[in-house]
Amino acid sequence: MDATAGQKLTPRAEVRSGRRPAALGVAPAEADERLVLHARGLKKHFGGVQAVNGVDLAVAAGELRAIIGPNGAGKTTLFNVLSGDLALDAGRIDLEGQEVSGLPPHQLCRRGMGRTFQITSIFRRLTALDNVQTALLTHHRRHFNIFAPARRLHRDEAQALLERVGLGEQAGKPSGILAHGDQRRLEMALALASAPRLLLLDEPTAGMAPRERHEIMQLVARIARDTGLTIVFTEHDMDVVFAIATRITVLHQGSVIAEGPPAEVRANPEVQRVYLGQPAMPR
Amino acid sequence: MRAPAPRIALLLVVLAVAPLFLPSFFLQLLTEIAIIGLFATAFNFLMGFGGMVSFGHAAYFALGAYTAALLVKRMDVPMLLALAVAPLVAAAGALLFGFFIVRLTHTYFAMLSLAFGQIVFTVIFKWKALTGGDDGLLDVWPPGVLRSPVAFYYFALAVVGLCLLALHAIVDSPFGYALKATRENPRRARFIGIDVRRHQLMAFVVSGAFSGVAGGLFAFYNGSVFPDFAYFTKSFEPLVVALLGGIHSFLGPLAGAFGFKVLEWLISRQWPVYWPLFLGAVVIAVIVALPQGFVGLVEGRAWMRRPGKS
Repeated sequence: MDATAGQKLTPRAEVRSGRRPAALGVAPAEADERLVLHARGLKKHFGGVQAVNGVDLAVAAGELRAIIGPNGAGKTTLFNVLSGDLALDAGRIDLEGQEVSGLPPHQLCRRGMGRTFQITSIFRRLTALDNVQTALLTHHRRHFNIFAPARRLHRDEAQALLERVGLGEQAGKPSGILAHGDQRRLEMALALASAPRLLLLDEPTAGMAPRERHEIMQLVARIARDTGLTIVFTEHDMDVVFAIATRITVLHQGSVIAEGPPAEVRANPEVQRVYLGQPAMPR
Repeated sequence: MRAPAPRIALLLVVLAVAPLFLPSFFLQLLTEIAIIGLFATAFNFLMGFGGMVSFGHAAYFALGAYTAALLVKRMDVPMLLALAVAPLVAAAGALLFGFFIVRLTHTYFAMLSLAFGQIVFTVIFKWKALTGGDDGLLDVWPPGVLRSPVAFYYFALAVVGLCLLALHAIVDSPFGYALKATRENPRRARFIGIDVRRHQLMAFVVSGAFSGVAGGLFAFYNGSVFPDFAYFTKSFEPLVVALLGGIHSFLGPLAGAFGFKVLEWLISRQWPVYWPLFLGAVVIAVIVALPQGFVGLVEGRAWMRRPGKS
């Protein structure tokens, strides 16, 4: 995106963000205990491009929230500021009623936030089991222990977690040689190992075949249901989104343009306008 | 990573009986190999397992060597106590410098570690009153029985062996697992809850401490210490040794030290001037043909597979 596009974008986006709470009926709640994630006025720019421009996001416990939007809408940047990977320019983030703005990723992880990346991010030269075991050792705060042999610690727990994501058979293989879909599953297991209450999944099905996409998203939905986990995810496949999301937030040019249950979002004229030229919304 | 137990047992037996048939020159060579092997293993704890390439590790070797030598020479401290204090001072230095160094990555990490190494060298070189400057500290021999090459050989082997066991235990501990995670993927490591910088700093201190043990031992082996122990060319020694032996294996640097010192002896005996030329050729050959280092020859045909991504 060039500088002129960035300048054009800013005033429009500001109008939207100013109007949105009333339009969508989202009360600007104070620290609400039931909200697992509450972000207000998030801003992040890269040079002249306002990638995230005044985003508010309130996610209640147990939600499966999809964040959708055309390419370049700011979804990944939003994830990166939410997870502490990028510093915020402005705004405030509360996790389970406590302010966490500006905390580094490892502290967010300790406070119950897990995430996966759009480009698979695992420990490639370690076996699948060692991957998960390392995450569990850290979660149980043993990672500064230099005396005990780690081999047996939390091994069964790691194996169980791998089985839960369907990787029981692959435990002993170096994770770098696993099939792409299995690497995505492994990353999910890594994120789950720290027992998060909020899980951010950045395009969990990127690069997967359609059938596998549905499988993995059903896995996500099942895990969320079983554990009471709250999930925020981005996804390009609208079939997947409308099949499992309980609520949808639509991002466009760094701002939220719509938010609500799937049926309501699908019917929203502005969403339809933004998605013109994009794959059609399913009926 | 599991050490092949029978081979190690055989090696220990050979080392134990070596004094019966080897002349003392070779015992001294083996002693030096053990000490350099420990230094390179401590260095490779950072490079192979933590993914951090230090260009200034001679600083911690020299801090250990000078601490041991100064305590014995200037304060009449017994050798064993001096050897015990050496790693503490080296670790303190590693903590101080590492605090800044681990803030950087890759080339910048290497350059800052090099800079701190040169600071240590300069201080040792210029602080004549304490360190003797360019003249070094002479006559730092071990007391009594340890003066014999055979006794010192066993002593050095025992200390190095214990240190290697400790380092191996650390590699296999939860700390070691998390360290490998930071090497593989620092970003992912953060998102499973690891404070990457703190972890790297702790690894830096551990590595510095064991380099200090090697330095302390070397002071008594050599009977003297000199400022060039801290010079940057000395920092490349563990790097070359680890590369030759294999950086992805715990015992690689030890194998590398053996190959390095034996080759040096063979070549220098014939053509002393051409040793660096020969070493350069060997390093290139190993990097190109044997990316797993010497241990790649032993550990099956693992060297056929490149250690790269996936």
